[in-house]
Amino acid sequence: MSTEAVATAVHESNATRAPLRISGRSNWLSAGRPVRARQSLSLRDDAGVVSYVPGDLTLTVRAGTPLSEIERVTREHDQWLPLDPYGSNDGTIGATIATASAGPLATHFGLPRDLVLGLEFVNGRGDVVRAGGKVVKNVAGFDLSRLLTGSWGTLGVITEVTLRLYARPKLDRSVVVRLKGSEKESTAFLRALLGVPLNSYSLELLGVSAAQALGLGVSRVCLIRFGGNAAAVDAQLRELSSLAKSEEVETPVWDRLRNLEKDAGAVVRISGLPSTFREVSASMLSDEFPWMIEYINPVRGVLRLMIHDSGDAASDEESVLGLDPTLPNQPMVFEKLPAEAWAEIPSAVSDSLSRGIKKAFDPNNVLNPGILGD
Amino acid sequence: MTQPIPRAQPAVAERLAEIVGERHVLGRQSELLVYNSDGLPGYRRQPRLAVFPGNREQTVEVVRLLAEEGLPFVPRGAGTGLSGGALADDIVVIGLHRLKQIISLDVANRRATVEPGVVNLRLNKHVAPHGLLYAPDPSSEAACTIGGNVAENAGGPHCLKYGVTLNHVLAITVLLPSGEVVELGSKVGERDGYDLRGAFIGSEGCFGIALDITVKLTPKPQTVRTLLADFMSVDGAARVTSAIIASGIVPAALEFMDGPTIRVVESSIYAAGYPKDAEAILLIELDGLEAGVNADLETVRHICLEGGARNVKVARDDIERMKLWQGRKKAFGAMGRLAPHLIVQDAVIPRTRLPEILETIHAISAKYGVVVCNVFHAGDGNLHPNIAYSADDPAESGRVHKAMTEIMRACIDAGGSITGEHGVGLDKMGYMEAIFSETSLNAMCELRGVFDPDRRANPGKVVPIHACKEWNAVASARAAGVAAREPRPLETEPAHPVAQ
Repeated sequence: MSTEAVATAVHESNATRAPLRISGRSNWLSAGRPVRARQSLSLRDDAGVVSYVPGDLTLTVRAGTPLSEIERVTREHDQWLPLDPYGSNDGTIGATIATASAGPLATHFGLPRDLVLGLEFVNGRGDVVRAGGKVVKNVAGFDLSRLLTGSWGTLGVITEVTLRLYARPKLDRSVVVRLKGSEKESTAFLRALLGVPLNSYSLELLGVSAAQALGLGVSRVCLIRFGGNAAAVDAQLRELSSLAKSEEVETPVWDRLRNLEKDAGAVVRISGLPSTFREVSASMLSDEFPWMIEYINPVRGVLRLMIHDSGDAASDEESVLGLDPTLPNQPMVFEKLPAEAWAEIPSAVSDSLSRGIKKAFDPNNVLNPGILGD
Repeated sequence: MTQPIPRAQPAVAERLAEIVGERHVLGRQSELLVYNSDGLPGYRRQPRLAVFPGNREQTVEVVRLLAEEGLPFVPRGAGTGLSGGALADDIVVIGLHRLKQIISLDVANRRATVEPGVVNLRLNKHVAPHGLLYAPDPSSEAACTIGGNVAENAGGPHCLKYGVTLNHVLAITVLLPSGEVVELGSKVGERDGYDLRGAFIGSEGCFGIALDITVKLTPKPQTVRTLLADFMSVDGAARVTSAIIASGIVPAALEFMDGPTIRVVESSIYAAGYPKDAEAILLIELDGLEAGVNADLETVRHICLEGGARNVKVARDDIERMKLWQGRKKAFGAMGRLAPHLIVQDAVIPRTRLPEILETIHAISAKYGVVVCNVFHAGDGNLHPNIAYSADDPAESGRVHKAMTEIMRACIDAGGSITGEHGVGLDKMGYMEAIFSETSLNAMCELRGVFDPDRRANPGKVVPIHACKEWNAVASARAAGVAAREPRPLETEPAHPVAQ
């Protein structure tokens, strides 16, 4: 598969009015709303590094390149792409950028929109478009890279991505703090933690089910990752030890956390002002339902909640929608739901600007129709 | 004081005056002179009218009136831009500097909502007592506005570590050219859907006017250390820059000044104590947790000395630090000592290409007999080659422009971009086709068309109009006698000719 092949497929799709389901390695086809397309267009074979000059700390890859391959290539030069979306590293960079998927490292390194320097995509008419560039700073023209990031393949098929890389930290350490005390004590710890000068790469507060699933015990836990030079990491570990007892855990714990979502029947992300989460997060991480896994990022202000199939779609939907009375009017993003449940959820692209953009970029609605509720 | 209103355009000017008050509408050519250029004085365009709304409601009313009349306009902040982007060629300028309220500050959640006319440095002074800062710090921070920063996706020295405006804006309330008001992004969380906030940032006034902007604030670092390394060769400093970036340390800032720049700054009131005999200096700032910064400081010092630095001096205190920075931030101002006009480029190149590109720039300046000063964000590979010259001397102007075109060409050939933070505006529009294909430019036109179907907001900037397929289709349809809505100029006497 090449850019030209993608353009040809899109041209044909326009001619026959047969819409396309765009996919990477098909790991997450259950994410998003059902797509009204019989034909699929997979980018999985369009993989590989296009250019990589380690000294520039930038990397250009084809969209079908798995995250694991990017990890391998950059590791050879002691660099990395600090982007760890939930799920696994088996997914492609194209799908990750198209869905703007991020994970725990977003705490320090930002979201996909902060890491993408440029894109090549094929729009819904089959035109090849290049956005941004290959340098780390660029304001030439209107920002189509941001527009395409998180557009779920509905505005264009991403065929190539240029990313900002970072040097791997000299030290990369993760610790767990077990929160065995009362909710009040947990909240006090969290407040203190966020008040001291720490610069954690990742920081997640895990509910009991999540902690159990990771073999971290039977209480709520706070999982923290520190990176940097030895002096910086040591100073942070010392700072932390003045607040609570912590235990070191192996870095792969983060991969296991990301993998918890693999079999979930529903995944919902609730975001809000970080302060809201700081104050109520201990109580929000309910210990009652073993099929419900929750964790909170109190720095970003994001709660992720997943429900493993209880076999009853209606009750799953109810538990998701009836979610949390303590958080009214928080933006909720539904990443994965039982198909029937989507009807209740308003589309995030129903405003007139979004509709206008969709119409301009994909006039015949041949790219992933329906995935965003359009 | 009463303002004369252009005779043939009484209706619009009067109605604008009814909205904002007579003294906030300017129509006399002499008064409008102030608005006929931005920070690049080589470009001049005379606006027809300038209107200065005093609050959000007035701004909405002004834009709605212009929409009703089908009149184009150019939004303008402080006019410090360096791309000719805020120039209005015989159309209305909407100046937004009176919208200068800091609407809210949420210390616990590290965010603030401000009106577009709030000056960057004022926001920083406002949040500093709470241990916070607004990270993007263009060198014009003392004058430029947050609204202008959003329009240009402004950067600054500290963007190396902290990112540009795009990375620090959470939400924007946008007044579309049609007069409709929309919320982009989210003030309270992360939303899904298209990143319209991202698309609006850097749209150079072509997508509408930001009525309020919610920005992310950053905690002040525990420690800041600033180093000055001086070199007897440009090449040495360039190689050290590449070596620092390759080492993995992300300095808060890594700035480069060459010999000619150093000497101009040192003979100006902004003298910072740079060694006048050096051929290049690097200004390197490290910040973060104290223990980590001290360790990085030693590594950076070592890289500099290994790479041939003559001296590496670490600022002892904040006063010394500020002095070192002042020389850098006011360098463009100091250029005024050399000649009345300044041309500044903003190309970005891959960071490993720095040594060879600086050599190429040197060769080009010798070829055309011009003095290029280099003062730029080396860590990002964001060059600012600039030439002080007299635009009134046609021969000199010609050589300067030829040299600049050749420099730009070299940067593009190195895989770079034509602009890193100043924007395309008028100045770099001619280069857009050198880096973007026809279909890419057309996609940009289409995006603009969604925000501004009538193309009335900042017309004639960023994307060359002939690159827009659909618009050309409309134009030919019109030519064929089919009715189509076109922006029309103000129906008054022809514009006074303005020196280009």
